[in-house]
Amino acid sequence: MEFVISLWAFFQNNILTKPEFFVGFIVLLGYILLKRPFYEAFAGFIKATVGYMILNVAAGGLVGNFRPILAGLKDRFNLTASVIDPYFGQVAAQSAVNSIGRSFSMMMMVLLVAFVFNIVLVLLRKITKVRTVFITGHIMVQQSSTALWMVLFCFPHLQDPSVVVMLGLLLGTYWAVASNLTVEPTQRLTEGGGFAIGHQQMFGIWATEKIAMRMGGKHGKTGKKLEDLRLPGFLSIFNENVVSTSLLMLAFFGTIIGILGKDLMQKIDPGFSSTQNFFFYMMSKSFNFAVFVCILQLGVRMFVNELTESFQGISNRLLPGSVPAVDCASSYGFGSPQAITLGFLFGALGQFLAIIGLMVFKSPVLIITGFVPVFFDNATFAVYANKAGGIKPAIAIPFASGIIQVLGGAFAAWYFQTSQFGGWHGNFDWDTVWPVFGVLMKNFQYVGLGAVLIFLLAIPQIQYFKNKDTYFLIAEDYDAYLEKIAAKQAAS
Amino acid sequence: MLKVIAACGSGMGSSQIIKMKISKVFKEKNIDINMTHSSIGEAKTQAGGVDVVFCSMALTNNFEKAKESGTIIVGLKNLLSEQEIRQKIEENVIGKTKTPC
Repeated sequence: MEFVISLWAFFQNNILTKPEFFVGFIVLLGYILLKRPFYEAFAGFIKATVGYMILNVAAGGLVGNFRPILAGLKDRFNLTASVIDPYFGQVAAQSAVNSIGRSFSMMMMVLLVAFVFNIVLVLLRKITKVRTVFITGHIMVQQSSTALWMVLFCFPHLQDPSVVVMLGLLLGTYWAVASNLTVEPTQRLTEGGGFAIGHQQMFGIWATEKIAMRMGGKHGKTGKKLEDLRLPGFLSIFNENVVSTSLLMLAFFGTIIGILGKDLMQKIDPGFSSTQNFFFYMMSKSFNFAVFVCILQLGVRMFVNELTESFQGISNRLLPGSVPAVDCASSYGFGSPQAITLGFLFGALGQFLAIIGLMVFKSPVLIITGFVPVFFDNATFAVYANKAGGIKPAIAIPFASGIIQVLGGAFAAWYFQTSQFGGWHGNFDWDTVWPVFGVLMKNFQYVGLGAVLIFLLAIPQIQYFKNKDTYFLIAEDYDAYLEKIAAKQAAS
Repeated sequence: MLKVIAACGSGMGSSQIIKMKISKVFKEKNIDINMTHSSIGEAKTQAGGVDVVFCSMALTNNFEKAKESGTIIVGLKNLLSEQEIRQKIEENVIGKTKTPC
């Protein structure tokens, strides 16, 4: 008996509570189950483990880089600050989970339970009406991280196994139901492209199409489209992740550091040497954020690679006829490049205005624009809006979304206390529906959780009852769907 | 062996999905490839030295320079359509690459 206990203790201390090895062994096990050669499985183990360790280095770097600035803001203005970006959010969630002494390995277990539950919901599609499997690996990691902290925040006394099961069910339901909402808009956008969106703004995509159709369709026709619009060429530099992240960080942190002033920064930040010019200090501090985001992405890419590949294999093998829910950027080929740039620009405009608003009204949390939500969410909305309603909604919706992202993100960073660690998830669904889920769970505990689950599971039922005859057809055979709709219109 | 890059905005999601589909098509054709996926920024710096770059149609204008050096740039409309990838490989890639395949 003693032997078993010490074996368990060994397992718990070295693998279960060390996310890097836990992730590595999951990948190893997956490859062995898929009957890959041993050397490939071993390489997968190394890549996943090293990838996670790289991620840890980046997370530490981000937090360390942020610390003097947060301290300065606290000291001078009694403010906290959060970058609304899923990478910063993931780091903040990880720091928050570790700060209360819980193991972040749960994130990985939650992810697996949620993925399995998503598949179960699709297998039971006759009853659940769910058609989509969420397979975007890096998003699943980010969402599992943030949601794990939310659940620990709402249910602080819950034991680890219960946390994993409960959150796994909740997140799996969200992945299934929300990506299922994007089937119709995406099939219409892509004219039968055969995929759905599994990302961070799925409720947003659904709402965008509804609103854009109403805005553009006043005269029974859709409005003017974006295709003829010419935009200045310099905007293309924003296509590059590193450039846009660095510029955004320089704009925001440069301003903040400038306001805090040279003397205060020199006092707080031991990294600021007396020989360094203030402007160059500002620049290197700001660019450092881009550096750590790049490292973080490298790490995530390394261990998520292995996941995404096997997830796609599993969903193809287990669920023929189901729709894969993938990265929102998959929709960009179906929109004009102008829509993408314009969505980003007006989203950024909305965010900046809302940030000024927060400062004017003395919000305790200062919000800093992160690249991922302002670009990917709003560009996606612009693409869908342009298709459904033309130029007007393609400008108005990203603008409104920018405002919502900042206000929702500020509320969430304050309410869930991740602003102490400098970040919040920040993508559209995590500034809207998820904070509401969190507030319900915090205040009504299991009743709140039940309400959220019932709400989510009811959505595909409502979708189904509205269009019983074409609900599955639109996902399976778009041409047949169009014929059926045309025949229906001809008959009426 | 052909050097091939799949590129997307952040080098995370969609480039990996097309990478899997592209690899499958080249395998069918019995063409040996060395395939990576990356962000547009990274791909831009490497594009001159590879044979083919795949990316979303919306992003092909990032690779004008590489095109001049003989790299084939394939813009995809539907990143998930194996059919489109196969057709574009047959029409634009096979027999036209810097490295003979």
